[in-house]
Amino acid sequence: MIDIKGLHKAFGKNEVLKGIDLHIAEKEVVVIIGPSGSGKSTLLRCMNYLEEPTAGDISVDGIHLNSESNINKVREEVGMVFQRFNLFPHMTVLENIALAPVKVRHVSRTEALETANSLLDRVGLADKAQAYPEQLSGGQQQRVAIARALAMKPKVMLFDEPTSALDPEMVNEVLDVMKALAKEGMTMVVVTHEMGFAREVGDRLLFVDEGRIIEQGEPKAVFEDPQEERTKSFLSKVL
Amino acid sequence: MSFNWDLVMNSFPLLLTGAVVTVQITALSVALGVIIGLFVGVARICHVAPLRILAAVYVDFLRGTPLLVQIFLIYFALPVITGQRVDPFFAAIASCGINSGAYVAEIFRAGIQSIDAGQMEAGRSLGMTWMQTMRYIIVPQAFKRVIPPLGNEFIALLKDSSLVSVIGFEELTRRGQLIIARTYGSLEIWISVAIIYLAMTLTISRFVAYLERRYKVDDRH
Repeated sequence: MIDIKGLHKAFGKNEVLKGIDLHIAEKEVVVIIGPSGSGKSTLLRCMNYLEEPTAGDISVDGIHLNSESNINKVREEVGMVFQRFNLFPHMTVLENIALAPVKVRHVSRTEALETANSLLDRVGLADKAQAYPEQLSGGQQQRVAIARALAMKPKVMLFDEPTSALDPEMVNEVLDVMKALAKEGMTMVVVTHEMGFAREVGDRLLFVDEGRIIEQGEPKAVFEDPQEERTKSFLSKVL
Repeated sequence: MSFNWDLVMNSFPLLLTGAVVTVQITALSVALGVIIGLFVGVARICHVAPLRILAAVYVDFLRGTPLLVQIFLIYFALPVITGQRVDPFFAAIASCGINSGAYVAEIFRAGIQSIDAGQMEAGRSLGMTWMQTMRYIIVPQAFKRVIPPLGNEFIALLKDSSLVSVIGFEELTRRGQLIIARTYGSLEIWISVAIIYLAMTLTISRFVAYLERRYKVDDRH
C-alpha cells in the first residue's frame, strides 16, 4: 500500500531522516515509536507530502508522489489525524466532516451529511452533530477528526500522536475508535507513545531514532526481546 | 469674533448632499479595496513566485507614495497616455480603491497568517487544493479577525476621500470650500464640515464594534 525508498529529509542543515526504506502492506497496522526528535512524525508526514522529502521515492497505492496532481490524488486516499485535532472552528461538527467529500469527491450535500451522521454514530458522537468544535472535550474533538478523515473513505489512515494532547481520562475513548478501525481491516500507520496500544493492535512495531529505522518486528517480540542497544535503552525508559 | 448660526443652518443641506457623495465614494472605494485587498493579500503568500512579487510591488508602491500624488497620476497623468479625459468620479473611486487595496491586502495577509498552520495542513490532507483550503477554511476564519483593523482602514479612507476635492470633485470638503468662496464663513463652515465627518466616522466605528461583538458570539455559539 505504501512504498518508501531511500527517503531523506533535511530542514536546512538539520538532517531529520537519513535514508528510510519501508513497505507497508494493505490492512497492516504499523506503529512507530521513538524518542522525540527522532524523525518519526516527519516520516509520517512525508507519506502524504505534508513534508516534502529532500530525496527518495514514495508511492501510495501505486501512485508516485511526484507531481501536484498526484499529491492531491494520494491525499484523497490517505486520511490524517493530528495531535492537535485541527478541526475547523468556524463549522459545526457535521460540516467539518461533510466539507471535503462535497468539495473534493463531489458527492451531493445530502449524501455527505448522511455519511457524516453515520460516521458520528460510529465514533459515539451522534448527538454532537450541530455542536462547534470548541464545545467538545479533547477526546470528542479527536473522534470527530477521525470521522472527518474517514468521510473521504481513505485506503490508509495516518495518526500523528493522536492521544498526546489529551487528558489521560480521554485517551481510551480515542484508542477504542482506533482499535475498532484496525479490526475492520483499515491500513494504519500510527506514531504514538501508547505502548499498550502498540502491543495490542500493532501488526508491526518500528523503532525510529536519529532518522533511521533502528529495529522493527512483531510488537510483542520487540518489547520483550529488543535486539538493539538503543531500543533497549528507549524501552527501559518508557515501559 | 461672531459666529454666524444662520450661515451654518443655511449651508447645512448643501453640505449634507456633499456628505452623501463622500459616503458614496467611500462605499465604492471600500468595495473595490476589499476585492483588490483579498486577492493581493492572498497573492502575497501564495507559492507562485511571480504573483507574490507582483503583489509585493503593488503594496510597496501604493503605500510608499502619497494618495494625493496617486490621484494626480490617475486624473492628470493617465489622460496623457490614453489621450482621453478621465471622469472625476471614476478617478476618485479608482485612486481611493486602489490605494486602500494595498492596506487591506496587508490586513488580510496578517489575518491569514495568524490562522494556525494546522488548519491548512488539515485541509490539504483531506485532498483539498491550496485554493479550496484558503477559500473554505482559512479566509472565513481570517475575516473575523480582520474586522477591527478593517474598520480602522474604512475610517481612514472616509477621511482621505477629502483629498479628491483637489480634482474638483464635489464631495463634502469641496462643497465646504465652494460655500466659503461665496460667503467667507471659514469658521462656521469648517466647523460644520468637521462635525459631519466626525458623525460619519463615529457611525462606522460603532458599526464595526457591533460586527465585532456579533462575530465573537458566533464563534463561540
